[in-house]
Amino acid sequence: MTLNLCVLTPNRIVWDSEVKEIILSTNSGQIGVLPNHASIATAVDIGILRIRLNNQWLTMALMGSFARIGNNEITILVNDAEKGSDIDPQEAQQALEIAEANLRKAEGKRQTIEENLALRRARTRVEAINAIL
Amino acid sequence: MAMAALRREGRRFAPLISPRPITAVRSSPIVPTHEDEGPIGVRYISTQVVRNRMKSVKNIQKITKAMKMVAASKLRAVQTKAENSRGLWQPFTALLGDLPSVDVKKNVVVTISSDKGLCGGINSTSVKISKGIYKLNSGPEKETKYVILGEKAKAQLVRDSKKDIELIITELQKNPLSYTQVSVLADEILKNVEYDALRIVFNKFHSVVSFVPTVSTVLSPEIVERESESGGKLGELDSYEVEGGETKGEILQNLAEFQFSCVMFNAVLENACSEQGARMSAMDSSSRNAGDMLDRLTLTYNRTRQASITTELIEIISGASALEG
Repeated sequence: MTLNLCVLTPNRIVWDSEVKEIILSTNSGQIGVLPNHASIATAVDIGILRIRLNNQWLTMALMGSFARIGNNEITILVNDAEKGSDIDPQEAQQALEIAEANLRKAEGKRQTIEENLALRRARTRVEAINAIL
Repeated sequence: MAMAALRREGRRFAPLISPRPITAVRSSPIVPTHEDEGPIGVRYISTQVVRNRMKSVKNIQKITKAMKMVAASKLRAVQTKAENSRGLWQPFTALLGDLPSVDVKKNVVVTISSDKGLCGGINSTSVKISKGIYKLNSGPEKETKYVILGEKAKAQLVRDSKKDIELIITELQKNPLSYTQVSVLADEILKNVEYDALRIVFNKFHSVVSFVPTVSTVLSPEIVERESESGGKLGELDSYEVEGGETKGEILQNLAEFQFSCVMFNAVLENACSEQGARMSAMDSSSRNAGDMLDRLTLTYNRTRQASITTELIEIISGASALEG
């Protein structure tokens, strides 16, 4: 019994195949989904999606999205997604540092919020790389 | 006097005479087959006029051919994007359904059109459908508003429905279309317009020669709740447990906004594809028409030229025979 996972972004389909199990992080914590899960519709936060195929875990960084799970079919619609293997570690680390610096410099409520989001995104990407190891 | 008699004879044989200078042509130069009455009462067509017309038609043909190729290359670029974005709104339709027949109080019609012209009839069809939806949904307690994207629909709708227009957005295609741009637009629309149901009117791109006007309906969260409770297609929504966030309503609202921006993104891309495809076929048919016109003008030109040669020959021969006998 496997789950059919489909990860879509506005520009392309990032993932479309069968997996054994996934772990996604939502606003209210992480949820693991196994075959024959109950039907749910949930909002996914900026975070990591872990996919297990044949006892091997893959990670993907998701930037805010929506997931629908039903009948062993999972559809995740994201604003942006990157496979962990596609992210360059150095570049992600640099982006994280830049985001942290920007956050410290941010003035005004709006900039703070924007920089916060950018920081979380950068952190997610760094974690996606680290989590594979 | 003999020459005058000869000329009168020439009139009987030759309806056309050798070219006259342009300034004497009183008719407008764009009508080559117009027959003018000169001061001595003879009919003629100037080869000069025909030649000028041929030159301008040839230039037009070159330009339309170039426009067709430009449209073809732009189409290729946008087509891959549009196809990739198609998968995005399908889960939404599977979850929330696309119900054009929902009866709501506040309708907003989002009409998507092009900024530039020369693209065939696609903009007129979009506007016609928008007006049709408006008529369908007008009645007591119901109101319909327009949100217009693109110059062409703006020009057509401003004329008679000015008071119903909420928002006009133009020059979408100045920068290459991206999801972030469209989501910002969607945000603007959602902030400024009250709605129960949003109907997006655009031209769906089926193939290079077929563009079908389509309407996608996006419902506001309250209406989704109402419909899911009453059963029917949206009744399945209730069977989904909703997690994440505090309340179901909050999730549904996020979902509706996300759905709107995804559907808009897809609609804008498809409309751009249809625009390029329609422009390709319009330019193609006008190149072909220009080619036909060129053929006809060439025939006229040759006839004119041969007639003038014939006239000259007649004059020479009659002159020579008059001298002999």
